[in-house]
Amino acid sequence: MTELPWLYAGIAAYAFAAIAALVGVARLGTTMATVGGVSSVSESQRNNERLVLLLMTTSVILLTITLADRWLRIGHGPFVNLFELLISQLFSLGLVYTIAYWRIPVLRTTSVVVLPLMGVLAVWVMVLEPSDSVFPPTYHNPWLWAHVGFGKFFLAFCLIGTGLAGVILLRSYGFFKNLFRHLPDNVILDKLAWRFMLLALVFDSLMLCAGAVWAQDAWGRYWAWDALETSSFLNWLLLGASIHARTTYNVPIRLGAVLIISVLVFAFVTYFGTPFYSEAAHKGVI
Amino acid sequence: MRIITISGVLRRLASTKLTLLWMLLLAVGAALSYDNPEDTSIWVLIVPMSLLALNLIAAIISNPRINRRGGLLVFHLGLLSIVVLAAIGRLTHMDGRVEIISGAEFSPEIVTDIHSGPLHSGALADVNFVQGPFTVEYRPQMMRGLTYSQVALPDNKGGWREAVVGDDRPLLVEGYRFYTTFNKGFAPILSWTSHDGRVAETGAVHMPSYPLFDFKQSNSWTPQGGDEIKFWLQLETGLTTEEAWVLDGRRATGTLVVNVSGERTELLPGESVKMAGGTLRYEQLTTWMGYKLFYDPTLQWMFLAAFITIAGLAAHFWQKLAAEPLGLDDALRHEKQHAKGSVPASRSAA
Repeated sequence: MTELPWLYAGIAAYAFAAIAALVGVARLGTTMATVGGVSSVSESQRNNERLVLLLMTTSVILLTITLADRWLRIGHGPFVNLFELLISQLFSLGLVYTIAYWRIPVLRTTSVVVLPLMGVLAVWVMVLEPSDSVFPPTYHNPWLWAHVGFGKFFLAFCLIGTGLAGVILLRSYGFFKNLFRHLPDNVILDKLAWRFMLLALVFDSLMLCAGAVWAQDAWGRYWAWDALETSSFLNWLLLGASIHARTTYNVPIRLGAVLIISVLVFAFVTYFGTPFYSEAAHKGVI
Repeated sequence: MRIITISGVLRRLASTKLTLLWMLLLAVGAALSYDNPEDTSIWVLIVPMSLLALNLIAAIISNPRINRRGGLLVFHLGLLSIVVLAAIGRLTHMDGRVEIISGAEFSPEIVTDIHSGPLHSGALADVNFVQGPFTVEYRPQMMRGLTYSQVALPDNKGGWREAVVGDDRPLLVEGYRFYTTFNKGFAPILSWTSHDGRVAETGAVHMPSYPLFDFKQSNSWTPQGGDEIKFWLQLETGLTTEEAWVLDGRRATGTLVVNVSGERTELLPGESVKMAGGTLRYEQLTTWMGYKLFYDPTLQWMFLAAFITIAGLAAHFWQKLAAEPLGLDDALRHEKQHAKGSVPASRSAA
């Protein structure tokens, strides 16, 4: 298992990034509360954000090496067992979030929500048996790549939306209200969060469509209501209904935030939990 | 007295509250359909999908928030077409299973486990191909790898052309898709001739799937005018669990153990045995491949509809993005004010 040291190093980098993000936001809130000045804080905050970005980038690079090393060793990509699926998600979620963190400054504070969430995946991957997997014959299909790739963007955009929703909910509490007071108003964060959820719906739809084409090629049916298909369809419905409700009715911002988080939780259970209650996530895998 | 107008009815049918209700109903139907339980009716899906389709049609016609926005209109029309195509697909589909021996021609009579929609009108009788030999790769510990199944198809010039199918490369003939499965095995070809010469028949006895049931390669057959004959096939295939291995019927040999009324005889290909009622001859050993058969004339249209639907959604998102990149204008304005040291407390409009 030559990839394990790279994996642990990558996870450690994520952990340091999470700590740096939390310290940075805490320091910002405290300083703003005591000094009341903004310009003196900004340079310190910018340095902290650079550190978080550096650590996240390092982590993504280390996880890239982890995946490449494993790929070369076992001869196929991270598509089969939960251990490699989680590493792959840590990599892709980290990559998309790092780019978003770099390019969209207003998202940076969401790192105090997003990075601990990714920590859950990191802890999970560390308690799993790092076993090798066998590539099923039905996985030799380009649509698998499209299916998995779209799914990664779907989850990443859900995660960013959840980061914003988490900030909205957390700032209801006194302690966090102070920490997040430099952020734009909830109305703006809510609007931004739902933009990401709409983007997530596009990629969720693409994922289901590519998955159906793959399933048709691989198992001779495009839809069969197996565990993962049923759960992912329910997830799509929940996301679609949430966006429909948000655009049609005056959904309270906090309720909207809860809806966003529930979509991510549902997605998490669907894509990482299904293998626990279904012997074969997709029938025909074996 | 209230006057009921068409537009009034449409508005009611297009209710966005109804959309949420029908979506909830569809979610319940989907949950009930999990794993296709036998005791769940297909109506748990048909009813909410029909209601949603009705709601969609009414909304497309009457809701300017949909029909005046290009991307959103395409998205909703696409959703509607997917529901319609799924319904047509279920009405016209067919699926089944077929086991065909190497060297034999496909015939609709050998298809089993058939499920088809009431409007299925495919041309299964026109399907014509000849099964050739096949190989299946196995990795150590009997992990199944790729399947290569050779078939011969008419080339429309009076001859035949070869094709190799397997796993995610189905054989496509007359709109019917034949997918290789893990189900495949050996089949001794036997001839039976009655003592008086009046009955003469040749057929194949399909042994259980191999190597899944390599430990019980047995079956039985009762010829016309004879007693039940029990068979046990002793195979030499080079099977090994420790190393990579290829299942190839052309390299395999098999001794057929014949048991009639407790009397045991071992036969090699070409040998025969006399028994009560007639003579049994073991002609040769061949293989059979199990295919899953699938037919749905809406497949390509469904793919196109799904693609257009998502394109509509993406276009709608793009329009929003072009009007206001990620909704960031307000946030960026706030950042600039924040950097200058003045953070407005007022709520800005969405």
